[in-house]
Amino acid sequence: MSRVELLTPEGLRVDGRRANELRKITAKTSVFSQSDGSAYIEQGNTKCLAAVYGPREVRHRMQALADRAIINVEFNVAPFSTSERKKRSKNDKRSLEVATFIRQTFEPVILTSQFPRSQIDIYLQIFQHDGGLLQSCINAATLALIDAGIPMLDYVCACSAGCIDKVPVLDLNNLEESADTPELTVAILPRTGKVNLLEMESRLHIEKLASVTELATEGCMQIHKILDDVVRKNTQHLKDRLTS
Amino acid sequence: MTTTKNFEIFSRIQPNEYIGRFLDQNIRPDGRLLDQFRPTFVTAGTVATANASAMVRLGGTTVVCGIKAEVCEPKVDTPDQGYLVPNVELSPMCSSQFRPGPPSAKAQAVSEFIHQLLKKSNVVPLESLCIESGKAVWVLYADIVCLNYDGNIIDASLLALVTALKNLSLPKAEVSPLLAVEADPSETVQPFLLTNFPVASTFCIFNQPNVLIADPNDTEESLAKETVTVVMDTNGEICRVYKNGGTTVGSDVLRACFGHCKKRTQQIKQVIEDALNQ
Repeated sequence: MSRVELLTPEGLRVDGRRANELRKITAKTSVFSQSDGSAYIEQGNTKCLAAVYGPREVRHRMQALADRAIINVEFNVAPFSTSERKKRSKNDKRSLEVATFIRQTFEPVILTSQFPRSQIDIYLQIFQHDGGLLQSCINAATLALIDAGIPMLDYVCACSAGCIDKVPVLDLNNLEESADTPELTVAILPRTGKVNLLEMESRLHIEKLASVTELATEGCMQIHKILDDVVRKNTQHLKDRLTS
Repeated sequence: MTTTKNFEIFSRIQPNEYIGRFLDQNIRPDGRLLDQFRPTFVTAGTVATANASAMVRLGGTTVVCGIKAEVCEPKVDTPDQGYLVPNVELSPMCSSQFRPGPPSAKAQAVSEFIHQLLKKSNVVPLESLCIESGKAVWVLYADIVCLNYDGNIIDASLLALVTALKNLSLPKAEVSPLLAVEADPSETVQPFLLTNFPVASTFCIFNQPNVLIADPNDTEESLAKETVTVVMDTNGEICRVYKNGGTTVGSDVLRACFGHCKKRTQQIKQVIEDALNQ
């Protein structure tokens, strides 16, 4: 059985990247009119969309909290996004798990105490799946929340990293993810460097953990710069339109 | 002294009056003429993982259609026919009017509309999806996801589906002696050319004043008495007329619908051709 060489001796991966290179990221905000905030992120071939509604009235009165807003996340993968069509229902365990991760990631960061008895909805849609779903969703959600004007403590930037042939690699694509590569996703608040989410489901030697986490954190800082540029450019554009 | 705030408040508490003031002057709140369609943008091949895809922006309404092909056994009474399964998804992401949970009545109605339209008008020859009669056929799952809902989902969905179908190429497949289907992804064929395809045009009817507007947006749709959809193919033949009985109109209004539909179909034909040539 031939195995695809994920990391050549020259240090090149299947898509020509080096071990510590991020995929090309393009991000846009304010892409839709109906939602309060929206963002679209393309990270390599992974395409993710986020739409934020809120703060608005709670759908089920019983769930309303007297002192803060509740956050509701829905994660949906389009059936045509993977190479094999898979109609995942919104309530399947994997999707619910990812939605829970994202909700728990944003709960301490969004200033929910400013909006008691309300609800903030974050809807995530994946169009093309080429690895790094959790990280793209978190990054897209951050942009969408900023676009919606919801106050947060800081950006939440996420990045995945793994270990191929004992070399830490950054930002895994689908091929690398499905080849039993140990994979770790980290989400940080860039200003303080504090870790918000750390998720790893595979086996990784404890000696490698520090270097892989460090690489992922560096990736987060790079992503933060890209997201920040997008937000600043948009704000500048708005400012120009308002003052002209 | 009127300020912007007053207009916003007025449009919220008296939406019918607000829109009536515009329609009396033969114009609409977004500045369009009564028979004007919103700017339509079509992009083909947006999703690389799908066999064919298209994205349509009809004013604010944005939909993405992805077609995935799978193999399965044909029905016993139609051994030569494949399947085309459209599915429209209206999730809470595209508008706050949709609730989370199983597909709403509206989503199911639109899916069924498109399914019946393609079946009855025979625009997609299902025989071209046959791999081997009685043994294996292609089933095309067309998933249409709405990203932003600003009215007129039927026109946008059908347009996205048709563009994707025109762009579809399937791997050459044959049934091996072991009754397994072998598909060769390097060799692709276009199962059908779809030179003749249907285009939908949706209109809304208001009573006060008695007007017909084309391509309603979300607010206009919710305030109108009725929504009428006419589907015409590029040969100039009418495939479907859907007027579900919200109000009564004279036959001259329906004739006006057909006239606008004809113009719109030609316009859309050009838009699709431009999108596929890019």
